[in-house]
Amino acid sequence: MNTKSLLFTLLTGLALLFIASCQQESNEQEASTKMPGEGIEVQEAWARPGADGRMSAAYFLISNFNSEDDVLTSIETEVAQNAEVHESYEREEGMMSMRDVPRLDLPAQSTVRFEQGGLHVMLMQLTRQLSDGDTFKLTLTFEKNDPITVEIPVRL
Amino acid sequence: MNLFKFHTVNAILIGLIVLFVLQSCGPDRLDDFSDESFSLVNQDGENVTFPDDFEGAPLVVGFIYTNCPDICSFITANVKKIYNASDYPEGTQFVLITFDPERDRPDVLKSYAGAFEMDREPFQFLTGTPDEIERLMQRVNVRKEISNQQENEDGESIYFLSHSDKILLIDSQSRLFFDYGGSMTPVDIVAEDLSKL
Repeated sequence: MNTKSLLFTLLTGLALLFIASCQQESNEQEASTKMPGEGIEVQEAWARPGADGRMSAAYFLISNFNSEDDVLTSIETEVAQNAEVHESYEREEGMMSMRDVPRLDLPAQSTVRFEQGGLHVMLMQLTRQLSDGDTFKLTLTFEKNDPITVEIPVRL
Repeated sequence: MNLFKFHTVNAILIGLIVLFVLQSCGPDRLDDFSDESFSLVNQDGENVTFPDDFEGAPLVVGFIYTNCPDICSFITANVKKIYNASDYPEGTQFVLITFDPERDRPDVLKSYAGAFEMDREPFQFLTGTPDEIERLMQRVNVRKEISNQQENEDGESIYFLSHSDKILLIDSQSRLFFDYGGSMTPVDIVAEDLSKL
């Protein structure tokens, strides 16, 4: 084996070693940043007060701890004739608008925030007044995971 | 004697300068509604003339419609938070005016106010004839337009509005001093400005 071949073999070996160590580091990093928890969880849920027959909105954080993506496909509650995911946005300066989000992607290992002025569950035509201190149940249905029901407190 | 006069004139001049500086440090007037008059009705069905009936004390005004689930409930809650948080001038009034008068009649506003525990002094929820509300909204630069329409389970049509997001602070002489993004401006900033009126 001449010097050139020896150098080539040495360099190739070093490169392979480097790639392997990077891969290991990346795996360790992935393992260390894996979100704690299982399935799909809803946290920090709350809703605005609303008059009977009118509207309200619910907000929360929804986390998909699974390694597979999922989709929020529908929402049901007894306190509204219809519940849909909508998103408020500023169409132009100072002019607020809203769009329908019929299917909400929940990427694996991620959290989606429902918040005022952004994503929210629109509760249409309330079947009763929702006042500060009330609670109600909301059932979320997904493409892959089982449905989950969460208790939503009403507050100002 | 001449020296005494000189010092007196000096003192008066310095006083005037200080007064001028202090006055110019206050907020700038953005508009003046004192010559305007809009015939409205509150959540109890009582006639209200805006802004005349509110003169004499500062006024916090938000613009909403009750079929709005997100932004307008945010604006309504913010008006209540300003009321709760602020060390505001005595007699300050808190008003929410609908830009959807066809649907937001007094009984609807009363029910909405009740849900927010605001069906009481010093809050008022105002509506009016569509023409009068249109005239008022143009004057205060609040825009609205139908953004989408859908049918409910009973086949009734429900529409939603794109609209301005606004809370105004008007002084005791119906002059506009502050104009905020109603849902976006932190309540403590509005409360602090209100204390300057």
